[in-house]
Parts: sequence; C-alpha cells; structure tokens
Amino acid sequence: MSLFGALAVLSPWWLAALAGLPIIYWLLRVTPPAPRRLHFPAIRILQDIVPKEETPAQTPLWLLILRLLLAAIVILALAHPLLNPPAQLGAAGGPLLLVVDDGWAAARRWSDRQEAMATLVDRAEREGRPVIVLPTATATTGEAPRASRLMRAVDARALVGAIEPKSWPVDRAAALAALGAMPEIAQAAVVYLADGLDDAAFVPFVERLQRLGEVTVMLDQPGALARLLQPPVSDPGALVLTALRPEATGPAAGFVRATTEDGRLLARADLRWTDGQASAQARIELPAELRNRITRLEIEGDTTAGAVVLLDERWRRRPVGVVSGATTERQQPLLSDSFYVERALQPYNELHTGTLADLLQRELAMIVLSDVGRLGDSERASLETFMRRGGVVMRFAGPRMADGADALVPVQLRTDGGRAFGGAMTWAQPLALTAFTTNSPFAGLEIPGDVRVMRQVLAEPGLDLADRTWARLSDGTPLITADRHGEGWLVLIHTAATPEWSTLPISGLFVEMLQRVVALSQGVGAAGGDQPLPPVATLDGFGRLQPPPASASAVGGGEIAQLRASARNPPGYYGTETARRAVNLANGMAPPRPIREVPPGIARASFGSDRTVDLKPWLLAAAIVLLLVDLVASIVLRGLLPRLRMPSTAALVALALCGALPALAQAPPTLRGAQPQAQQSADPLLNAALTTRLAYVQTGNGEVDQVSRAGLVGLGQVLARRTAVDIGQPIGVDIAEDELSFYPLMYWPITADATRPTPQVIQRVGAFLRGGGLILFDTREAGAFVPSQAAGGSPVALRLREILRPLNLGALVPMPNEHVLTRSFYLLREFPGRWTGGAVWVEQNQDRINDGVSSVIIGANDWAAAWATDGQGRHLYPAVPGGEAQRELAIRFGVNVVMYALTGNYKADQVHIEAIMERLRR
Amino acid sequence: MTAPMPLRQSAEELSGTLPALVVAAERVAMTVAQGVHGRRRVGQGEAFWQFRRYEAGDSITRIDWRQTAKRERVFVRETEWEASQTIYVWRDASASMRWRSSAALPEKSARADLLTLALIALLVRGGERAALIGEDQRPSIGRGALARFAERILRSKDGPGLPPSTPLPRHAQAVLIGDFLSPLPQIDAAIRAIATRGIAGHVMQVTDPAEENLPYSGRTRFEGLEHEGDALIPRVESVRADYQRRFADHRAGLADIARAVGWTYMSHRTDRPAELALLTLYLALAHGPEAIGPGGGADGAPA
Repeated sequence: MSLFGALAVLSPWWLAALAGLPIIYWLLRVTPPAPRRLHFPAIRILQDIVPKEETPAQTPLWLLILRLLLAAIVILALAHPLLNPPAQLGAAGGPLLLVVDDGWAAARRWSDRQEAMATLVDRAEREGRPVIVLPTATATTGEAPRASRLMRAVDARALVGAIEPKSWPVDRAAALAALGAMPEIAQAAVVYLADGLDDAAFVPFVERLQRLGEVTVMLDQPGALARLLQPPVSDPGALVLTALRPEATGPAAGFVRATTEDGRLLARADLRWTDGQASAQARIELPAELRNRITRLEIEGDTTAGAVVLLDERWRRRPVGVVSGATTERQQPLLSDSFYVERALQPYNELHTGTLADLLQRELAMIVLSDVGRLGDSERASLETFMRRGGVVMRFAGPRMADGADALVPVQLRTDGGRAFGGAMTWAQPLALTAFTTNSPFAGLEIPGDVRVMRQVLAEPGLDLADRTWARLSDGTPLITADRHGEGWLVLIHTAATPEWSTLPISGLFVEMLQRVVALSQGVGAAGGDQPLPPVATLDGFGRLQPPPASASAVGGGEIAQLRASARNPPGYYGTETARRAVNLANGMAPPRPIREVPPGIARASFGSDRTVDLKPWLLAAAIVLLLVDLVASIVLRGLLPRLRMPSTAALVALALCGALPALAQAPPTLRGAQPQAQQSADPLLNAALTTRLAYVQTGNGEVDQVSRAGLVGLGQVLARRTAVDIGQPIGVDIAEDELSFYPLMYWPITADATRPTPQVIQRVGAFLRGGGLILFDTREAGAFVPSQAAGGSPVALRLREILRPLNLGALVPMPNEHVLTRSFYLLREFPGRWTGGAVWVEQNQDRINDGVSSVIIGANDWAAAWATDGQGRHLYPAVPGGEAQRELAIRFGVNVVMYALTGNYKADQVHIEAIMERLRR
Repeated sequence: MTAPMPLRQSAEELSGTLPALVVAAERVAMTVAQGVHGRRRVGQGEAFWQFRRYEAGDSITRIDWRQTAKRERVFVRETEWEASQTIYVWRDASASMRWRSSAALPEKSARADLLTLALIALLVRGGERAALIGEDQRPSIGRGALARFAERILRSKDGPGLPPSTPLPRHAQAVLIGDFLSPLPQIDAAIRAIATRGIAGHVMQVTDPAEENLPYSGRTRFEGLEHEGDALIPRVESVRADYQRRFADHRAGLADIARAVGWTYMSHRTDRPAELALLTLYLALAHGPEAIGPGGGADGAPA
C-alpha cells in the first residue's frame, strides 16, 4: 500500500494497533513505579508521620512519553514501511522471469547486477510471485543455458546468489532455445539484465521474451560497458596494445597494467579514447629482459576476462641451439662436450643441435658453443648480428680454447692457456665457487658444496674484468664472464662443459645457471605442433587466473591460434607448466557493439537506480535504543544505583547505546570525555634549572648509565654531609637532545660501542664548555689515557679522541701538582677512582681563557663506580687495589671536582689570601 | 545467633578483631587520658591535694579561710579523689545499632563498642572498677580485664534495645550507650528502674547523621531493623522537616528523662570523632553533670 508516493507500508493492518496506545497510556499512568526500599532504624518516628500529600505517585511524564514512543515505534516497525517503494512488477500474480546475461561483459559491474537480482527477488517475495531464473551464458559445466524450474523466491535467492559471471560470451541463441523448452507460463513479469553488448540474437531473444509477459531490459549506465583488450602486436622495443570499447561516444581514459608471473607490476601505460573512437592504443616500452617477464596485461580496474591478455611462450619461447666442435660425440656420449649442456637444457627448452651454420638459419634465442676453438670471421660476424638482435651466445672453454681463442670472448684470455689444480703432481687443491654477487644474474642460486673446478682458462686482468664477471672461484679468479652485445649477451664459462675440467656440469647448479642465462635471451615465435594441449590455468569471469574447471578440455596444438574462448575452452593457459600457450578472449572476437535500441514495447531501466529503503530495521534499532534508555531510567528511578550522578548516568546510557548499535561505538563522546588525559609531568627544564644538579651523559649502555647515576647519587650524599654544597638528584642527559646549559658538571663515561657523535653534537658540547661547563671524561679502563694523536690505544681511547679532536680545547697536560683541583676542597696528591694509577689530564692553564679553569678533566679511573652507593649507602663496587682508603681518596677527588666546577679558580686565589688580608688591614 | 558457629571458627574470628578493637580503644583512651590526667586528680576524699585560686562557681563552703587569710586572694582547698568507684556500662547491641547510612561511616554498634571499651580502658587506667550491665560479671579491675571486656563485647551481638533493670549496688555510676530510638515511655521506665536506687548515670545517644537529617527523596518504603514494620513515604522530601522536628523532640524528651533522674544526657554522631564523645563522657563521669552543661550535647547535637 502506498501512502504518499515516497512511503509505502507493507503490513498496514499493524497500524490498527496504534489505537491501543491510549490503553497503554492509561495503564502506565495508574501504575506507579515501585518505590525504593531502605532500611532505617528510626522507623517509629517515620511511622508517626502522616504523609501530607495524598496524591498517588505517578509515572513521570517524560517516562510516559518515552514508553508510548517505544510502543508506537514497535508498531510502526511491524507495519514494515518502505521509503521510495519500487513500482509493482508487471501484472499481478504472474511469475517473475529473471533473465541474466552472465557472460564476460557482465563481470565489470557484477555487484550492480547481484544487487538488482537480489532486489528483484525481494520484490517477488513481497508480491508473492514464483521465480524462474535463466542465465544466458553456457554453464561452467558446459551445459547450454537452461531455465530453472518455477520456484519460491526464498529458493531463488540462493540460486541467484550463486550465479557468477563466466569468462566467455553469452549465447543468446541457445537461451532462446531454452525459452522454448521452458514450461508454459503467462502473465509473467520479465526482467532481462543484459550485459549491454549487441549481437545478432539479441533482438529475436527479446521479442520472444515479450511473448511471455511485460519485459524490462536493464542496461548499464553509459560508460560502464565492458572493454576488450586485444593481444599486443609485435613491435621492436615495445608492446603495443589495443583496447576496444563498445560505445564510441565521449572521451575516456584508463591504464594498462603489465605484471609478472608473481604479480609484480612492471609497467603502467596510458589508455586514452577520444570522442568517436572505439579503440585506444597503449605502448609499453621496457628493456627486453623485463619485457620477457610480462605474463599478464590488463585494463586497470576492469574485472572482466576480456580486459585481460595473457602472454605465453610465444612472447618468451627460447629455442636453444647447441654447437659442438668435437666430432666424436656419438661414440662416447659421456665424454661429449655438448652432452651435459643438452641434458641440462632439454627439459625446459626447445633444443636444436647442429653446426653453427645450420643453427644460424633457424630462429634461436640462444646458441651454445661448447669448446669451439677458433671461429671464422664470417661466423663471428653472423654471431655478432645474432647477439645484436637479442640472442645470447654462451661459450664453454675446453682444450681447444685453451690452445688459443678467437676474439669472440667477453674478456681477454691469457694466451698461455689455463691453469690446473689438484692433479696428481700439483699441490693446489681444486677450488670451489664463491657466492654470487648481487649484480650477477646467478644471484641467489645456492652453490652445492661439492662443486670443484680443476681446470680453467684464465682471463687477462683488465679494468672492466670485475664488471664483466658473473661468477668467481674461491680464490677470486673469474669463472664466468659476460659482455653485452647490443640487445644480447656473450657469455663465457671459463671451464669445460665436461666433467674432466670441473664437477660443475654434473651438479644441479649447472642446470639452474643455464636457465638463468636462457632467461636473459629474447624469445622467438612459436613453431607449430599438433599435440593436444591440456588447460593449465584458466581465467574466471573476473579475469583471475584459476585452476581449470573440470569441464575445460584440451586443445589441439594446431587449432589453438584460431581458438575462440568458450565454456569448453575458457581463456587461460594451455599446454604444460613450462611450455604453455595462452588463449585470450579477444582472439577472433568481433569488436563489441553496444545495445542501442530495444524493440518497441519494452521498458528500459538501468542499474543502480533502485533507492528503496526498508525502514523496518531502523525502526527496530530505534526501539531497542529506547528500550535500553527506559531500562536505565527504571534502574535510576528505583534507586538501584544510589550513587549515580548525572554525568555517569549519561555515560551509562551511552554505554547501553554502544552495546546496541555497533555503529555508534566508534565515537562515544561521553565516555571519551569521562576519562581525562593523564597529566603531563612537570616541565623537565624547570626541574633541571630549579636545583643545582650534576649530570651524566647517557651512553645508551644501561649498565654504565646505572653506575653513573649511582655514583653521582653517592657523591651528592657525601657533598651534603661534608660540604655546604646542596645538590639535587643527578640527571642523565641525552647529549644530542637535551638542553645542557643548566649543569655545572657533566660526567661522561666513554664506551667503545657508543655511537659516534655527530658534528651537531660536538657543536653542542663545545657550546657547553665555552659557557663555563665542566666535563669529566672517564674511559673507565684503568690505565693511562694518552690524548696525543699518535698514540694508539684501546677502542675506548680512540673514541674519546674522536670526541676531543673537534672540540678545540687547549693543550692537554697531566694535572700539575699545584693545580687548583688538588686543593679546591681537600688537599690531594693522587686521584684514584675504582682503579688507580692513571694520569689525569686537564687543559693547560691559560689565564686568558675561561679564567684559567680547565673545561675538561680526563682520566681512566672509573670514578663513578667508586662513588656508587645503593639505597642504603653501601658501596657497590670494590676499589682496587687500595680498598676503602682508596675509595676515600676517590670520594675526595669527586668533592674537589664538584668544588672546582662550582667555584672555578677561587681556591687559586687563596694563595694570595695573606697578601690580601695584609692589604686590607693597612 | 543464627546458627551455632564452630568453636574454632568463632574463636579465630574473635581473635582477629579483638586486638584491633582493643588497640583502637586504647588509642582513644590514651588521647583523652593525656588531656585530663587520669590518675592522681582532684576528687572526693580526705587527703589534701592542693590549694587553688577561687574561681567563680566554686562553692563557698570549699574556701580555705586560713589560707585565704594568709594571702591577698581567696583560695579553695582541694582534696585528692580516693574512693574507687564502680562504673556499670551498658551498650545497645540491638539490630537497629548495626546500621549505617553510608560506607564511609562506621556502624552505630561499632562506634558504641569502641566507646564502651575505650571508656573501660580509661577507667581501668584510672584505677576504677568497671562492669557491663546485663552480664552477670563482677566488676573487674586491672589491665587484663580489658581483653576480657573486649571479648565479651564482641561476643554479645544481640541484645535488647533498652538496658535491663538489673539491681546495681548503691553509689555506683551507670553509663548507658545506645541509639535510644524506642518510644520515650519505655526509655523512661528503663532508666527509672536503674536510677531509683540512687545511682548516678549518664546516657550517651549514638546516632547516624542520616537519622537526624533524613537525606532521602522520592517514593521510598522504609523498613525497620527490629520488625517494627515499614512506612511508605510517597515523597520523602515533603516529610523531611516534620521528621527532623520529631527527631529533635525525641531527643529533647530523652534529655528530659535523664534530667528528671539527675543523669547527664549526651549525644554523639558517628561522623564525629570518637575521642570527642569519650572526652565528654569521661568529664561527666569525673565531675558530674555540671561538667557538661545543661544542654548535654557532646558534639554539636542540638540541645
């Protein structure tokens, strides 16, 4: 029933229940909510009180409205309203005949079609129509199109959901025949979901449909029709692709993607259709090696079998010719030069043997020359041409080449022949191969441990020898060298192709290496064969390569070139895994034409125009939300949540809503607001500036940092006890990041594994020192550190020198006896730490600079470890060798250093105190 | 008691809470004792204790004229309190005491137990003898008595809402601690039954703040804790003022009952510190009703 155009109600009799709302209102009004119950000791006093107000408790008005709204929404939901209801299907009562084009061209917008089918079945269900489904393409099983039986909409929904687009065209002629075989129906509503491509059978088919009932043809929106990618045409240096679109109106653009076997994208080329043009061209220019790896070209975003072109060995086939210089091959095959090469190539490649002259007549991708000594000039010239066209020439060394090679080698060979190791009379052992470098085509191949080379020919050392070397022996001599000739390659194996010179030919590595070399070459056209080629992998309707369906059958080798894709032979690869032929949908297919006209009396519709919104689920969801609100309200009114205040009530309501509507769970603002962010800690800069603190440089080594910290804590305790210095907790600073200017003294333990300070860091440290800071460097390794450049030393000393060198310090001298440090608090003569004996270096006293105060103190005695205490004031590390007496000195040194840092040369002035006092007195 | 608890379990339960209660009582008692000098203090006795300056309110009969004549000012003569007294304490262990209006407050019974035990601790420390009314226990003296009292208090969890009319020896003092929410005539009868023998006494009413203020609202059904029935109040906020007035009346009636027999009346709310109540109680015991003043409020309760 349509109420006012945009809204329809499917079960209007439910609306009668709205009349019951006043009853609910009355019931709710007279039933007060249950009181909360409380225990109360002073009950007797309460019992004496006669309530003043005798008005009965009532349900609050807002709760009343909420509950009435809830009831009304439930009733409305049960009435099942629809927004924008669709027009009714055809005449009332008749069945729905759903004809679906499920050929390749329907796949591009398949989801639209599925949606349309589901909507149609839904409507049929609502209108109580039985449904017949007729797909027009040959089934995957090879059966001709056949109409389903008359079924209920519920069953039809499952059937419709199972229809998938095929990778072959529709067969409307066969579908027409299927209509004839269908049981007689009349007054049907016929909806034809066409794929938009016209053919000779379209008009008769539609006219036949018209005899069954009212026909609607659903067509794609303009520009959404499937496009067809043609196999590329050979063009030197580039693949040229043509893409056809059915409609020739308006400009359109797209991309062609070229991908490899493993799905990597190699190239992406522009496709542009101009107005009025049905075809567009794309050029893919790639180096031959990369081009050879392309196995698949597709129009980006077009998920149809027609938008995919598979490339096969016709684009990559590599026939190999093997030439041998020896004539005794047939008698002793196992000693033959070419035997191992042939055995290695045979399983994967088309192999031809013969003389060089014969082989050059054929179309080959690679020519193997196994120990052919010297080539004539003409042969060399023709091989050169062969290579320039992209061929690969692979030469093996051997006794003949060792005697003297011609010029057709990638590197200059030494004329004195080869070298041999591991013979009966030599000391040298046969050599193994080293791992292939990454720039070698053999990179990644695993080298078996038993491959040994006994003899080889040697390359003359040259500038470009290293670049041309693909493989080396373990002593570094090149074993395989190669040189680029035009498009092709010249490859030389410096050992023979027989087991006499090396064990390489009888290893698995040999086969893999040959494969790699073959892969470098350019493929050549196919030679015809007539053996049947079974399907290897086929495209499904969406253009994805899948295992072939059971119904796909083999194709004769002779007819594959003219094969048109069908259910029996879907597009895909045929043949064997290694030598496969591609069958593309575009092979022999006429250019697609769009359906422009439909016969008169037939309605046209387009996909995606159905905007029916079923309001029932939304209403039910709203009812559930209201129910939860009511539940929470009831709980609050009953006093079951006595401590609940309003914000948390809101949070609870929000929580309930989140539970009901996952969509709302994304942003519960109340909850988010209820959890304030953790307070930021106090400003570290303020922290560092408000108290005088010692700092230590964090080395990144946790143990060292811990010792530094514990040492400075211990020193701070001593300072507090013995001196007037009141020092805060020490701070670990990141020398590269933290602000340094707050600290009078930094303790910097040097570790060998510390990261090398960057110039910026050095600049910061320099600024710190120039600003009056003092750094106590500690190499912590017990022994004299010598700052001079020449002296060697431990890695720690080297690292320290790296830090000191750019700091622009004054000359460093061992601490003189009368230095201020020796009497800034205690009188000291030695400065031990955990260790003792190491000299302590300071800047030479220059009165002009920094008031004569050294800005660095450098030593190796691991002072922090001597100062370090645990929480109870116990010392953590023993002082060696002096024990506690030495520790006391170490602590005194620490006190002196802090005093020095804080007071500078004040104590140096103390020597003049008598004179000053004398002057004052006078 | 609901079911006979296994002996061991009940013993463990007791030993678990006992030290805590004793410690709390001792702590409260100590705070008060330091303030008033528990032992060796002025009281009724023969031995001279001290002269002190006459102050307004001192009885003229207590002026030591010889001493006054010697000096320029008027002095009174004070004697040391010698007699050891027996204090009989009763505390309400009825169901209505085991209630609190919020988790932040102690139950009334817990506060009453604490006050009882702390008072006993204070008395024992001062050399007095103490006994519990309702237990046929002879008055105890000495430090060890405290633990025994604590054990008895914790063990008797149920009792009547008013003190029994046990015969008490003359010249003893009685201390009654409870919520006294029973009807006033019943309370009057119970107190008179004790007071007729010439016994001085002190009534300490322990209440929960919610009992004074009735801080509830909305439609509420109140239920008694001692099977008194229930009361359905449609809108509690509308009867609040009435209730507060009636509660104050009840309290005033209670004070009148106490005053009629010469007893002191004190009240204590569980949201106030126990030390304050104990101090008031102790002062009343030491100096009689005049130490408290006519109002009788211990801690801010309306007179």
